[in-house]
Amino acid sequence: MFDNVIQGIFSAAFLASILRVTTPILLPSLGALVSDRAGVINIGLEGLMLVSAFIGVVISAYSQQWFGVDVGRVVGPWLGLVAGVFGSVLLALLLGFFHLRLKADLILAGIALNILGSAGTVAVMYELTGDRGNTSTLASLQVPFIQLPEFINQIPVIGPFIFNVFDNQSAMTWIAFLSVIFVWFLLYRTPFGFHLRATGENPAAAESVGIPVVRTRYMALLLSGVFAGLGGIHLSMGYLTLFQRDMSSGRGFIALATPLLGGNRPVGTAIASLVFGFFDALAIRIGTLQIPSQLPQMIPFVATIMALVIYALQARQVQIIRAQRAAQGAGFDPTYWRVLQRLSVLHVVLGMIAIIGVIISISMFAAPKGFGGEETAFPLGLVIAVTSVILIALNMPFIARVERIRQQTLFSGAATLVTLGVYLALFLSLFRPPLIVAIGGGLVLAALVWVVLGGLNLVRSAPMSAQPT
Amino acid sequence: MNGKASRNISYVIAIIVGLIIFLATSYRVFGAGTLDEWVEKFNTTAGAGGILFVNALVGVSVALFVAQLKWNALRVTITVIAALIFGYVVTSLFNLDTANKYTQGEFIVALVSDAAPVEQDDVDLQYGRQRGGELNKPGVRDPLTEASFTFAGNEGDVITILAAAANRRSEVDLQVALLGPDGQTLASSTSAAAEQLEQFEDLRSEKDAVIADFTLPASGVYTITTQPEPLSTGTILSEAISATNTAYEAFLLGPLGRPNRWAVWIQDALTLILIGLAIAVVFRARQFSLGAEGQLYFGALVSGAICLAWTNLPPLIVVPVAILASMTAGFLWGLLPGVLKAYLGANELVATLMLNAVATRFYELVLTFQIKPPTAGYTASAPFPEGNVLAPIIPDTQVTIAVFIVIIAVIATWLLISRTPLGYEIRMVGSNRKFADYGGINSKRVIMLSMAVSGVLAGLAGAHLAMGIHRMLILNISLGLAFEGVVVSLLARNNPLVIPFTGLLYAYLRAGAQFMERDANVSFEVVRIIQAVIILLITAEALITLYRYRRTDRASTPDQKPEATAAIEGTAHV
Repeated sequence: MFDNVIQGIFSAAFLASILRVTTPILLPSLGALVSDRAGVINIGLEGLMLVSAFIGVVISAYSQQWFGVDVGRVVGPWLGLVAGVFGSVLLALLLGFFHLRLKADLILAGIALNILGSAGTVAVMYELTGDRGNTSTLASLQVPFIQLPEFINQIPVIGPFIFNVFDNQSAMTWIAFLSVIFVWFLLYRTPFGFHLRATGENPAAAESVGIPVVRTRYMALLLSGVFAGLGGIHLSMGYLTLFQRDMSSGRGFIALATPLLGGNRPVGTAIASLVFGFFDALAIRIGTLQIPSQLPQMIPFVATIMALVIYALQARQVQIIRAQRAAQGAGFDPTYWRVLQRLSVLHVVLGMIAIIGVIISISMFAAPKGFGGEETAFPLGLVIAVTSVILIALNMPFIARVERIRQQTLFSGAATLVTLGVYLALFLSLFRPPLIVAIGGGLVLAALVWVVLGGLNLVRSAPMSAQPT
Repeated sequence: MNGKASRNISYVIAIIVGLIIFLATSYRVFGAGTLDEWVEKFNTTAGAGGILFVNALVGVSVALFVAQLKWNALRVTITVIAALIFGYVVTSLFNLDTANKYTQGEFIVALVSDAAPVEQDDVDLQYGRQRGGELNKPGVRDPLTEASFTFAGNEGDVITILAAAANRRSEVDLQVALLGPDGQTLASSTSAAAEQLEQFEDLRSEKDAVIADFTLPASGVYTITTQPEPLSTGTILSEAISATNTAYEAFLLGPLGRPNRWAVWIQDALTLILIGLAIAVVFRARQFSLGAEGQLYFGALVSGAICLAWTNLPPLIVVPVAILASMTAGFLWGLLPGVLKAYLGANELVATLMLNAVATRFYELVLTFQIKPPTAGYTASAPFPEGNVLAPIIPDTQVTIAVFIVIIAVIATWLLISRTPLGYEIRMVGSNRKFADYGGINSKRVIMLSMAVSGVLAGLAGAHLAMGIHRMLILNISLGLAFEGVVVSLLARNNPLVIPFTGLLYAYLRAGAQFMERDANVSFEVVRIIQAVIILLITAEALITLYRYRRTDRASTPDQKPEATAAIEGTAHV
């Protein structure tokens, strides 16, 4: 059964599915990014997505009545898209009005917007269809899929692969990834983007040089409404053709975390969204195995928390390293510090991944019947728990005090080697090689990663830096 | 007026208002009309004394609300009323289709005559016969909008045509017309007179239409057409408003009127008060943590597991241990985002929302695979053993000793926030973290502890849901209760002594919405729309000052004060 998963993960179809499930995370993430950069973080993305998803479905369904089935089929999806985004924008502006004009707390008003979106859609759905669960009785439409030209398939070697990944993706997926470029251009290449960033950095300073802070913030919220609305449209009209109550299921909240992970930049946000898309798609794949479906469902949420922690920890590490570098004055070796920074982040990531092991083992102890009974679940859970705790313990000293990495470079290297080695060996063992190959391969790969990141560099210059500064 | 006198006056008002509420709820709850009936109902209802006791507590909560908030109590009341009016408008919009019942439904057309029937094959009707159909059937692609029937008649035949709703369910308002062989309209009618209603059995109301005793001018094939009367805007509006009035009556009075409905209100209020207290603690520290939901799931899971497993021990041991365990579980699950926020600076809102999702999945996992009996058809645990539940203080309801737990929780939270060093630190960190740090407060520890203490209260709410209300573990034991807690806490301005009132108030609306959905077919979600409006209005601090600001504007005296006050109020209360 694991073979299927492995084959699945390395197939073009899996990459295509990553793109598909990334879309509804990426679009609201861009909304969160834009509003965050203007200093008015939009907590209401979840509600906006629901509203737009619902309006899109309703308008596309009714457009067939208004224009007749033939015309309605063509214009319906786009009309639904425009109407949905419009609704989402209106709500975003309502948030702006309450926060900027009526001085309501931004976060609480955002929470109110989420409630309004969730409740309003269900209430209107109940009125229109008599159903509180979904709109399956409405004949709603789908945003068209984009077919790639056939010649791409003819390109030798990579052609078919690229074709299989990108062909037949929803137009919304293309819109999402084009939006990344749009947001990048907007933020870094237009006067408005400059105003927006300045407003977020320091509103008082921006005001003093004549930047219209309030208007910029309204615009930022409007844009976040547009992106959240597009994300909602993808949910109900991208691959499905119906609206389900609360169908955004937390994506609007995950979207608040992705910009943080992506360094508050458009491309970083896109990469972070892809990571979440990967976890989402993986959860769907693993769901076909004989393990409780709730466990893979937890992954995206745990990943979000880990992302928050990793972001916070690595920001702290970088700060410490910078402080030390400044303290050392002119005598520092830039490569050396860069390596230190990379390795510290690696420790944080490795330690966090082990937490997944802790969660799995806790689940095994709490519900052994879900994992093949107590005879299998308890021993296996114990092994996983002990391993995870050891791995966390190995990395913890270097996460807690970053200077230990240079004081005890070899220990740090060994910890990295063991932890990363275990992960990679586990990964390799999915391919069913002999045990020794998996373990050996894992360790070799881990060592390779350490060397590539510049670990040797650190060992060489360690004596110099060990001296008190 | 000096401060002491005004305080005394507010206390007097508080006591009077509390008494009125106590009397009103106690009077309405048995659904009695006169005082004699009330006494009789009181004597025949089991646990009537308990009901009075709880109503007295309701009165105390109201008195506390007025005494604590003073003029702000008025603002809270106005906010709630404004939100209710908004909900009324929304409901009437939903009810705009009520009048449609007059244009759709099953009908019959009957042709009555003493004359001899004319034998002809290609017509629809004969004397003494009737035909039927359904007009404007909902959900049909091409519904029947009007119906025509032909019949053959001889010159001089005296006929009567009846068009009527076919059964009790159909409320269609019909009009009928008779067309001659040449297509000319010979007669028409939109209503039935009272004596005709008595004369013909087929007629049901004046909305039916009758063409009585019409003499046919010539021999030939005649046509009867019938269709619903067109709706006037007035009818549409008045129907929508009357339907909304019915709905709002169920909404606003539904929770009172019968002891079992009253119990639905009270038991829900107990949950909301605990959740509201949990939210108030974190909001006081100005932490936007919504972790109450996940903490509640863990509290329910732990207490439920203990109640299910310890069947041999006396309940006197099991129940307190289960409650303590739920509090501990909530504490630990609250500590986690607390540590993340305090020591790592992870955004508490995102972190708690994600932790909620994890807790929900974990609860589902354990419930589905471990706790659910293999034979059960749906995902729920077995009912808790007799005794291992919170004992009801009113028979046959879920109003349990949780009442006392809630009273203790309210007092404990109030003492914690206003009478202990930790509470002082929480308030300081909440009003200005930098200043608190400067004053030597370890704000990280305070933030961490505030979120953990909040978890204790939320875990308690979980135990109440599991051991008091459901008496088993069910899937989706909480659907977004943390958000309800936000309303309860915000309305109370995060004041633990006011939260009993706001919890009761919001639970009343929630219970009313249930009865509105049941009795008037208006979606329960209307109450959540009202909830959102309440949050928006209550947090919009500048809403009051906006008016003052306008006024000063008009007087053309540039006065910056109102905005400044708004900003201060904004930080002080949320």
